[in-house]
Amino acid sequence: MSWPTRAAIGLAGAWCVAIAAPRPASAQSDPELRLARLDAPTRVAVAAVVDSARKNRLPTEPLVDKALEGAKKGADGARIVTAVRGLFSELRTARLALGTGASTDEINAGANALHAGLPMRSLAQLRGAAQHAGRTRVTLPLTVATDLVARDVPVAVASDVVISLVRSGVRDADFALFQRNVRLDIEHGADAATAAQTRARGAVLHGGRSS
Amino acid sequence: MRGIPESWIQRVVAELRQPVRMDEEFDRNVMNVVRSLPRHRYGPWARVLRPRTITVRPVLSSIAAALIFAVALSAGHAIGTARASRPASQRNDVSADRSASGRFTTRRPVQFVLVAPTARKVQVVGDFNDWDASHEEYRAEHRGGGVWAVTAAVPEGHHRYSFVVDDSLWVADPTAPRAMDDNYGMPNSALVVGGGDVGR
Repeated sequence: MSWPTRAAIGLAGAWCVAIAAPRPASAQSDPELRLARLDAPTRVAVAAVVDSARKNRLPTEPLVDKALEGAKKGADGARIVTAVRGLFSELRTARLALGTGASTDEINAGANALHAGLPMRSLAQLRGAAQHAGRTRVTLPLTVATDLVARDVPVAVASDVVISLVRSGVRDADFALFQRNVRLDIEHGADAATAAQTRARGAVLHGGRSS
Repeated sequence: MRGIPESWIQRVVAELRQPVRMDEEFDRNVMNVVRSLPRHRYGPWARVLRPRTITVRPVLSSIAAALIFAVALSAGHAIGTARASRPASQRNDVSADRSASGRFTTRRPVQFVLVAPTARKVQVVGDFNDWDASHEEYRAEHRGGGVWAVTAAVPEGHHRYSFVVDDSLWVADPTAPRAMDDNYGMPNSALVVGGGDVGR
C-alpha cells in the first residue's frame, strides 16, 4: 500500500474518532441521559415517573428538571422522588383544568399555581376568561397569580384579580407591570390584598380593552 | 479441416507469415485520406460534458467517499459544538436553538441582576441550564457598587431559576415573580420569556 493511501486511511480514521466524540452536555436532549446524573435508585424511580408522564401525554421535561434541581441542591433521593411524584400529580391536574390544548409552558405554570394553593377551579376559570378575551396563552397570568399568593395575597383575591385582568383583555406587558407594582407596594408596607386589588383596577384602565 | 490436404494448409500458413512490405507512398496516401476527413470540434464544455469512461481502483474510490462523508459530518459536528459553547454574550440576538429538553426553541436575551455587595461570585442557575452552576455563560459579572449582572440567551417559555452566591447560597431573584416550588427548601423565581399571550 502506497504512502498516500495510508495517509488517507489514517486521516479518515481520525475524522471518524472526532465525530464519535461525545457532544457537550447542553446538547444532549434525551431525558435518560440527563437523569444519568442521579444515583441509580433515584434514577430508576424518577424514570418510572417520567415514563408514566409520557404515557399520559404530559410534559416530561419539568419532571427531569425537578429531579436535577434536587440533585444540585443536595437533596437526598427520597426527597427528589417525592418532589417529582408531587409535580407529576400537579401537572396532570393542571392539564385537566387547562384543557388538552394547553401548551407545555401553561401546564408547567399551572402546576406551579396549584402547588402555591390556587384551586383547580381557578385554572379552569382562567382558561375560560382567556378564551372569552381572545387570549391564546395564560402562562404569564398563571405565573403572576402564583407570585401574588407567594406574597401573601389571599388565594381567592389573587385568583379573582388575575381572572378579571385576563377577562378585561390585559396583555402580557401590562401583566408584568402589574406584578412589579404590586411587589413594590407590598415591599413598601402595603396590605397585600389591597395592593393587588388597587393595582388591578389601574391595569384594567391602562391595558384593558375600552369596552 | 476435413478434405484439405495438410500440405496446402502449411503453404497458406507460410504465406501469411511472410511480412507485408508497404512502401512510403502507401503511408502518405492513407494519412492524406485521414486528414481530409471532417474534424470533430469540441467546445470548452464538451470536454466536461462528453461522456467518457474513467477507470478507478475500488479501494481508492472507497477512501475518497469515506473522506467526503467524514468532512461533511465533521463540519456539522464543528458547527454544533461551536454553537453550544459560544458565550451567551455573543448570541444575544434572537436565535433558534435546541433547549435541554430537546425541543427546538427560540432563544431571547434576558438580563439577570442581583444586588449582593458582599458576594465574591454570582451564578444564575435554572431549568434552562440543568441547574448547573458551572456554565460560564450564566456567570454574573460585578458591575460595581454591589451590582452583579449577566445577559444570557434563554429559550422562550416558562422557566424557574435562582442565583447561587459564592457557590453555596441559593437566592431567589427579589424582583421577579416567585415560583413557590419549595420542595427542596430553597426558593426559586419564575420567568416567562417571549410572548406568553401569543403562546407556542
